[in-house]
Amino acid sequence: MRRAILATAFFFAALIAFGFLVLPIVAIFAHTSPRHLISQLSNAVVTDALRVSLETTAIAQALVLLFGTPTAYLLATRRFVGRALLVTLVELPLVLPPAVAGLGLLAAFGRTGLLGSSFEALGITIPFTQTAVVLAVAFVASPLYVRQGIAAFEAVDPNMVAASRTLGAGSTRTFFRVVMPLARGGLAAGFALALARGLGEFGATIMFAGSLQGVTQTLPLAIYAEFDRNFDATLAMGALLVVISAALLLALKLSALWQASRQSSRYRSGLLSWS
Amino acid sequence: MHLRRLVPTTAALVIAAAFLVGGAAAAPKAQITVYAAASLTDVFPKIDSSQRYSFGGSNTLAAQIQQGAPADVFASANLTLPQQVAQKGLCSKPVVFTRNTLVLIVPKSNPARIRSVYDLRKSGIKLVIAGSGVPVGGYTLQILKNMNLSSVLSNVVSRETDVREVLAKVALGEADAGFVYSTDAKTVPGRVTVLKLPAWAQPKVQYGICIVSASQHKADAQAFVKRVLSKAGQAKLRAAGFLPRVKPAVKRR
Repeated sequence: MRRAILATAFFFAALIAFGFLVLPIVAIFAHTSPRHLISQLSNAVVTDALRVSLETTAIAQALVLLFGTPTAYLLATRRFVGRALLVTLVELPLVLPPAVAGLGLLAAFGRTGLLGSSFEALGITIPFTQTAVVLAVAFVASPLYVRQGIAAFEAVDPNMVAASRTLGAGSTRTFFRVVMPLARGGLAAGFALALARGLGEFGATIMFAGSLQGVTQTLPLAIYAEFDRNFDATLAMGALLVVISAALLLALKLSALWQASRQSSRYRSGLLSWS
Repeated sequence: MHLRRLVPTTAALVIAAAFLVGGAAAAPKAQITVYAAASLTDVFPKIDSSQRYSFGGSNTLAAQIQQGAPADVFASANLTLPQQVAQKGLCSKPVVFTRNTLVLIVPKSNPARIRSVYDLRKSGIKLVIAGSGVPVGGYTLQILKNMNLSSVLSNVVSRETDVREVLAKVALGEADAGFVYSTDAKTVPGRVTVLKLPAWAQPKVQYGICIVSASQHKADAQAFVKRVLSKAGQAKLRAAGFLPRVKPAVKRR
């Protein structure tokens, strides 16, 4: 009897939670007709914002890969004093309010900022440029990749690495032919998460990069700017972001499945399995 | 296993808590909620410190009111927005309660060495203005057009969401110049230099106030508007640099 009550209570709690999470997303699509949404996609504000978003996220993600991968590898494989502190520092932007991130970026790279003032002397100004958007996106998104990357590299069986080395492969060859393929699934998961977070970046960008159509106005910024002028355009952009994010998540799940079925190793992506 | 059960329970608790909080806030209270233009951020609490304020771009506030935001009074940095809201039957007919002037501001350090508005034509200047839907953004476009300076818009590096964002970007020295109200420049003394703009080019900057139709506290809202229009209220506005309200020049637009 008690069990039944508890089960029912849980069922309804889950139902409410599910409805609460799904309703706003459904509402974006239900507010206007799909045809109207699609027609808004040709609006110049929307196309410009989409282009800026894709450009800046692509560059930011490339930087995240380039710098994040070695960082994650070192943090995963080396044991040294202060490692835990470094890992925490790398993860900090993840939990930082975006407005604080924007403030920090301004204080560091702004024209009067710590580094920014030196750049300024060289004639390089960062705020209000696409570079600023890239920096903001990379700042908030990279911790997701590095975090996943550490887990992925840690999960690589050290025996495999040792075997590769004893069989005569150099450390470079071992890294690219053994470690990277084994860690690929986890790295891809981190990459997708960082990509999704980067596409949604708002607070740090609007503070640090401002908002200018076709230059620094990303999709989330355009949604905010158009909110009072053209609600339909904001809905269209919202729908666009929902579709992109959902596609990313789906790709992530599918690749995790594919990885799991392809590899019979003990490796698991952990954070992003189905169960 | 435990986690899987914990999550929905927590969600349910959060929702329940939200309802409780919402219920508490709905209890009758004399305090009203005033949605006011960002440029009124400093002066409105001086006129009446006991109300709840939400400051922002008037256009954002108007959109929020149209989406059913719980505002009692709407004070906008122009007349057109409250007039639009009134036309939809969502607020009373707006009255002008103050006026303002537009100025150009540069950071104290003046990195781009801007001495007059005409220097904005120099290429490479980082000019920050408000979005065209924001009242001050509209006024900016108007004054530039009046002065035949619309070409300087190519130097715009950001269109901000309200006048205080423009002010902040210039006061921080991130932007070389920006257009704000003279009253905004006064709130950051020593951080910006004010460059006055000719009176002949000035747009008509009138602030309109109205009572939101859906307000549950119409009498209190009315009292607030009266207070703003009263001698004391007007004195506070003038002390902050606002211009005395004059009879609204209706049907000029």
